[in-house]
Amino acid sequence: MLSSTGFFKKTLVSIAPSIITISLAILASALLLLLTGQDPVEAFQTLFWGAFGSTHRIAETLVKATPLMIMALGTSIAFKSQLWNIGGDGQFTLGAIFAMTVALNFSALPNMLLLPLSFVAAFLGGALWGGLAGVFRAKFNANEVITTLMLNYVAVHLLSWVVRGPLIDPKGHGFPQTPLLDEALKLPILLSGTRLHLGIIIGVLIILAGYLFWRSTLGFRIRLMGEGHHVARYSGIEISPTIVLIMVISAGLAGVAGWTEVFGIHYRLMDDITAGYGSLAIVVALLGNLNPLGIGISSFFFAALIVGGSTMQRMVGVPFSLVSVIQGLVIIFVISRVIYTQWRDRRDGSINPGVSNKSTGRSY
Amino acid sequence: MTEVLTQGFLISLLAGAIRTSVPILLTALGDIFTQRAGILNLGLEGIMLMGALGGFVGAYFTGSLWLGVLLAMLIGVLFSLIMAFLSVTVKANQVIAGTALTILGTGLSAYLYRSIFGVQKLPPQIEAFPAIKIPLLGDLPFWGPVLFEHNILVYLTLVLVFVTYFVMEKTTFGLSVRAVGEHPRAADAKGINVQLVRYICVMIGGALAGLGGAFLSIGFMNTFLDQMVAGRGFIAVAVVIFARWNPYRALGAALLFGGASALQLRLQAMGVPVPHQFLLAMPYILTILVLLSVSKKAQFPAAYTVPYSRAER
Repeated sequence: MLSSTGFFKKTLVSIAPSIITISLAILASALLLLLTGQDPVEAFQTLFWGAFGSTHRIAETLVKATPLMIMALGTSIAFKSQLWNIGGDGQFTLGAIFAMTVALNFSALPNMLLLPLSFVAAFLGGALWGGLAGVFRAKFNANEVITTLMLNYVAVHLLSWVVRGPLIDPKGHGFPQTPLLDEALKLPILLSGTRLHLGIIIGVLIILAGYLFWRSTLGFRIRLMGEGHHVARYSGIEISPTIVLIMVISAGLAGVAGWTEVFGIHYRLMDDITAGYGSLAIVVALLGNLNPLGIGISSFFFAALIVGGSTMQRMVGVPFSLVSVIQGLVIIFVISRVIYTQWRDRRDGSINPGVSNKSTGRSY
Repeated sequence: MTEVLTQGFLISLLAGAIRTSVPILLTALGDIFTQRAGILNLGLEGIMLMGALGGFVGAYFTGSLWLGVLLAMLIGVLFSLIMAFLSVTVKANQVIAGTALTILGTGLSAYLYRSIFGVQKLPPQIEAFPAIKIPLLGDLPFWGPVLFEHNILVYLTLVLVFVTYFVMEKTTFGLSVRAVGEHPRAADAKGINVQLVRYICVMIGGALAGLGGAFLSIGFMNTFLDQMVAGRGFIAVAVVIFARWNPYRALGAALLFGGASALQLRLQAMGVPVPHQFLLAMPYILTILVLLSVSKKAQFPAAYTVPYSRAER
């Protein structure tokens, strides 16, 4: 066991690089703001106020953090095993479609049963989409980056069809959306007057489960996969089924994120429910160093960025796409950190200034 | 369904297939260099978006489409330098570096477009490259309108297919590129600067992806739209794998995707009894199927996605 001061010191040391990374990304985007004739101080002040300025705003930030942390945990499981699942958006969408289909078609069931059933359906929907890419990779050696990405586009069109065809609201005057969920199926609101719903607690529980997961035998096998699929094979792990299993878990979590978003916020399906969570989840997972606590913290940070970013667009007219710029920069700075490590190793006369993951012990 | 078989339909389908395939093909040609040198650049999607913006902005403000093309290629090169730096110098994971670049390009192109043009009721437009009817050949029945009534960039792309083949297979530079992708250590021992060759190949990929993006905004359409690339950068990567790094096969594969998109549009217009969303999803499903069919036996460059370092054994 670590003593509490040891724990704090360790935490501080482990989050310092993330803080430096974020600061650099914000500095670079401040430069962009200056170049395009905006006032960076005003912009970031508005952003901060937009995310934290009132109870309502903090609640909104937590609302956005919910799907992000669940999805990013899924992303981290795939990334740890060197499987590059970047199809979070599609898996999120399939989860939402499956859950809604169950909720609308089995409304005769008691709600106590229907709500958990929709949760399971969401997991399965995501898992189906990710599992497909897993099978393609395991059986056909098809690059999962491209297949998961392509499945994202397919999911967009599938959702577009679902809300205009089979699940369209019959009383919605042809508007492309499904009927609203039954009142009893909506996730309960935790703080009246805000949109903060039960999902955040489910999200935190899933993050905690993430800790247990990494201590399980399966978690250990996945980390072995991360050492390289050859290493795992020599250790007696069957690669193909493990690849599919990892993709199923990773994508299933994205499906669950879709469930929290629909059952906690929108209460119906419509176009654009993913709102770019997929790419955000990748950034969150990487900035969080692929560990559950880190993911919890960085999901909160990026949620603040999107909530504050839309306030910034409304109040001072800075385009919301600045948030994507910051995301991209954060990843670039995260992966460039090894430059510093390499330089330090070389200065210290280390014999192996070679490949990045050796000198830093990280898996990407 | 008899109208499917009319000559007019076929002409418009085939000519449309050629036009739609050009942005994918241009990006794929550049990516042949990049992939052959051992680098998987998933940032092409973002680079294409920056190129689409650069081409449009250049053409809009200078009034010259060619300066737009130049700006797009320049921006493509600059943007790809980030990828080259991350994958060659930092030796970072290429999937993550590429994803970062795509997110950055998506955000930055939208941000800059808003900053430059503000929010307008009607999107600003330019005169796109006009179609040029080639004398004599353009008068051929059927093949004339299919092959010889395109804008200059379409013809240029076709020329680039041959140039790419020639450079790759018949020049020492092409040989170096292949050596670097197959066996960087041996290439290094022969005195080839592995890192420099990889930088150059990523930059060629960036220039052509920038041009591919510009084709969308100033050749195919006449305006810039956020997300107008719509996955074509990723499809180009798949095309290169499908074509097994050969420019002629890349031409065929790009035409296949162009054909799927063009067919999809025309089937929609005809009102076939299939939900149009399924037609829209066709090119993406096709990409997956194509990857499934070739990935098992494709001989990837031996040093694919592996950074090179002299100190490593």
